[in-house]
Amino acid sequence: MNITSHPIAPEEVMAFLDGELSASRAQSVDEHVKHCADCADLAAQLAETSRQVSAWQLEKLPPALEAKVCAIAEKQFSETPGFWLSLVSYLRPQPWLRPILAFSFLGLVVLFFYPNVRHETSILQGWNARNVGKLESANRSSRPGHESSPMNSSQASKSAWILNSQSEQMAFTTATNKPEAYATEKEDSVAEPVPSPAPIRPPMIARTISLRLITRDFASSRASLEGVLARHHGYAAQLTAHTAENSQRSINASLRVPAGELAATLGELKSLGHVETESQSGEEVTQQHADLGARLKNSRETEHRLQAILLQRTGKIADVLAVEQEIARVRGEIEEMEAEQKSLEHRVDFATIELQIAEEYKAKLDDAAPSASTRVHNSLVAGYQHAADLLLGFVLFFTEEGPRFLIWLVMFTVPGFFLFRRLRRAVASQI
Amino acid sequence: MQDALPAFVLSSEARFKVMSVSPVQPQAPAGVPDPSDERLMLAFSQGSAEAFAELFSRYKQPLFGFFRRRLADAAQAEELTQETFLVLLRSAARYEPRALFRTYLYAVAFKILRVHRRKAIFRATFFGTQQPAKEPATRDAHDANLLVRQALGKVASMEREILLLREFEQLSYAEIADLLHLPVNTVRSRLFRARLSLRDILAAPAPLAAPANLTESEERA
Repeated sequence: MNITSHPIAPEEVMAFLDGELSASRAQSVDEHVKHCADCADLAAQLAETSRQVSAWQLEKLPPALEAKVCAIAEKQFSETPGFWLSLVSYLRPQPWLRPILAFSFLGLVVLFFYPNVRHETSILQGWNARNVGKLESANRSSRPGHESSPMNSSQASKSAWILNSQSEQMAFTTATNKPEAYATEKEDSVAEPVPSPAPIRPPMIARTISLRLITRDFASSRASLEGVLARHHGYAAQLTAHTAENSQRSINASLRVPAGELAATLGELKSLGHVETESQSGEEVTQQHADLGARLKNSRETEHRLQAILLQRTGKIADVLAVEQEIARVRGEIEEMEAEQKSLEHRVDFATIELQIAEEYKAKLDDAAPSASTRVHNSLVAGYQHAADLLLGFVLFFTEEGPRFLIWLVMFTVPGFFLFRRLRRAVASQI
Repeated sequence: MQDALPAFVLSSEARFKVMSVSPVQPQAPAGVPDPSDERLMLAFSQGSAEAFAELFSRYKQPLFGFFRRRLADAAQAEELTQETFLVLLRSAARYEPRALFRTYLYAVAFKILRVHRRKAIFRATFFGTQQPAKEPATRDAHDANLLVRQALGKVASMEREILLLREFEQLSYAEIADLLHLPVNTVRSRLFRARLSLRDILAAPAPLAAPANLTESEERA
């Protein structure tokens, strides 16, 4: 059937016979079929094919099966559902009700949790605002031997951002959970004439700042870094400088600066270049320090008692030696704990700044670049070598691994072939 | 010729009246139309045993025919018919009338058939093919049946599936497309190819093969 002479496609004739065309289209196809012998012939053939296919008759469904299904259904209908099943089916919402219920549940969740979150946030904000200056001064004064520097209000306000950082908030959240810290807040909120029952003990926080700067003038930044450290009584615990030619120069340094001057030092460091990344963290070591102090006190008392025993009591040489040995052991423990305590206090007194200063590097055009022909020649030689290496690699690989692969191939191919043949037969029998 | 055309266009409602053979089918009062399948299914999902009985009486034979025409073993066809109705019983509470009930039912049946075929292929691959039980009394009773079976066995599998769904399950093109996850135009073109192919096979003067010489796919009854 030629499509150009037939405005109706053969498939449309079939769809017309199947009643799958719209009314208007079916009418036009009907008109066409009435006047076109080819299409009428096709329609007749399709109808005849359908008639032949419909001659395939089947046996009736066995009554036994019918009875079996009816019995199962009857059993299911006669069973009374359990309490929970009944409740679930009773409460099962209509489809239009589901989004409303979902939003209502979400709203309840928000209403339940939001006031708690808001309350905690307000406590944190109020605590930070009130104690920012007080904390800094108390921190400085509580450290014996610390080189204190006066902290004016501008410095206090500069350090406010430290306290507002996330890590600091975490530290202060811990602090607010402690009875003495919470007492501080309470104390501020009540009237002034009430005397404070206990002195304020601010938390001991070991601070670590990580800073990455990009600078245009690398040499002056490096020189300024030493000036900043000298002005703020800090020092470089570790410093590595990379100053290779024709590459980006950089400095990686671990700086220690007094905690009281951390804000001012950071401010000056940031002026050395463009801040690329900055992160801050604070570790509260108050509890650790207190535990260490208690243990140290006990050990010292033990040492004193042992010394008293050694002085006042007389006995065998073995007993004297045993007491001296015990004194030596306790002394060792005391020294270890003292060192640990000093290290802890040092970490609190001196904040750590992990500083990385990188140069804003611009590649320079090399005046002595090889000519184009030389570069093409070199590329060709390098390409040939790479191709030869690759080919050689293939040869070596197959020489080395080929026999093994061959054995595996034989082992899997034979059963795989039989399995595939059976699978193909099985698929053909099931289609 | 025009007189013959309307007879070719089958309506599903008419089919149900012809194919429903259940003696327990409830008689609707005169003048009251039969409730639709979807209404019955909704009533069934709310616990109406009568609705299930009516649905069962309407679809037991078409569903059995669906499996019987696709499987070589009559016992397996019965088993899968029963399984489909059991699935219907179990999942009635979750039914939502998003499509025609018969599309839903044949989708369930099609899924069960696929699972059965997959298991059968696995069993046949690893444990050998199991011959279906012979039914000499009914298998070759009519030459026409054998001829159609042979001819359908030669049609490509997907085209044959579309042809069977159209000719025997009387699904519309859209329903077949939905069931087989194909575009409607693809269904139409493949159905056309299948019919032409079947016409050519049936028109060819091929001698009737002896039952013993049939392949397994041709032995499908």
